[in-house]
Amino acid sequence: MENRYLQHFLYPSSLFVGKDPYVIKTILGSCVAICLWDKKLKIGGMNHYMLPNWNGNDLASPKYGNIAIDKLVEKMLYLGSDIKDIQAKIFGGGELLESATGNSNMIGERNIRVARLMLEEKKIPIVASSTGGKRGRKIIFFNDTGEVRHKFLEKKVY
Amino acid sequence: MSNLSDKQLLRELRLRLEERKKLDNEMKELSKDFQGVTKKLKESEALKSHFISNISNEIVNPFTSILGLSKAILSVEKNDWKKVVSMVALIHSEAFNLDFQLRNIFVAAKIEAGEIAPNITKVNIRSLVQTVVDSFNIISRKMGIDIKIEFNIEHGFGKNFYFKTDSEKLKLVLSNLLNNALKYSYKDSQVVLKMWVDEDVLHASVQDFGTGISEKNQKIIFERFKRLDSGINSINRGHGLGLSITKALLDVLGGDIDIKSQKGEGSIFSVQLPEARNIVEGFSGEGNDVFFDDDDEIF
Repeated sequence: MENRYLQHFLYPSSLFVGKDPYVIKTILGSCVAICLWDKKLKIGGMNHYMLPNWNGNDLASPKYGNIAIDKLVEKMLYLGSDIKDIQAKIFGGGELLESATGNSNMIGERNIRVARLMLEEKKIPIVASSTGGKRGRKIIFFNDTGEVRHKFLEKKVY
Repeated sequence: MSNLSDKQLLRELRLRLEERKKLDNEMKELSKDFQGVTKKLKESEALKSHFISNISNEIVNPFTSILGLSKAILSVEKNDWKKVVSMVALIHSEAFNLDFQLRNIFVAAKIEAGEIAPNITKVNIRSLVQTVVDSFNIISRKMGIDIKIEFNIEHGFGKNFYFKTDSEKLKLVLSNLLNNALKYSYKDSQVVLKMWVDEDVLHASVQDFGTGISEKNQKIIFERFKRLDSGINSINRGHGLGLSITKALLDVLGGDIDIKSQKGEGSIFSVQLPEARNIVEGFSGEGNDVFFDDDDEIF
């Protein structure tokens, strides 16, 4: 394992952007993680949100996709990125909970939809993705090379 | 398509119509949601500007008192030293309040910036509870309110009980609940803090015998910047962030909070906090593990 990397485990509802080479890791169920990478500055960051849109009640935290995406892009720009150099990879949004409850509220799918919509609006290209399905995912993002390693999990995670 | 019988054609049409209806309904739902959120946003914006004027009071007032009081102490005659004690007590309670408010605001800012992560250690729950309660001692004594601790956890080494969680976050959760309980209590009454464990879940409940919260208000008290203007002991103290922070912190720790209250009879806030697991499936807690397998896909 390359030792020059610092490590960051990304918890749900949080986001992380690093200027130094980091490996950012997370675990996804119906949550979505967006990895943004600046191909010129070779820096990147990731968010991890649980629900598509802020309901106006809770704290305006990156638990919600629309806030998490804005904040992640903002932070990239703050570190000197030009929005034209940013590209995105999106992961997660599985439907892990069997719709035994009757009302499948399709959180996973709605989470992905927000990602695609907002990235398109910001003209950030999605260069890779692995979304949907019924399994959780383990994501490892190298924020200097933009590489993402991805593995499906057999067991259920949140 | 040209070979469809009339029956098939009809069925196909009906299917498509139904599909269309479904989409229409979804659209309606969405636009309703959208309108709701817009309204909320407007409200929230108004509350936010309110918040800023509130918060400057919250910070400026205690400072003014602290400055004034300390100046008064400086000019106290030596034989009047007894006066100093009461002034120092006042300074303490102002500073305590200031510290508490600022802590909340900084945590709220951290949560909104997405920079909050659980910091899990083995926490001595009994001593944590005692520390939190002790920190409110001076204030509760001043109000004549007795904070009663019912610690119903027996196991562990001796009298200590260790639980894997984030001690700072748990402290802030309990502090906020106690602060609220004191704020909405009548003078010379009681606040009861109960702690117990059920399987791997830590329970805490804070009960006051104060004003209580109407059913309608129970629904909105977790919203940010929302404050109920029925505090007894303090006129409009606070910033309306306490409970939304509490909820967000519990969210980070996988816990939950609920409330039982009746107008005029007081309130009980109950917190459930599951014990943190060291390891998230597939990763070690430390993060220094080997973290790829050969079957990783690369994107």
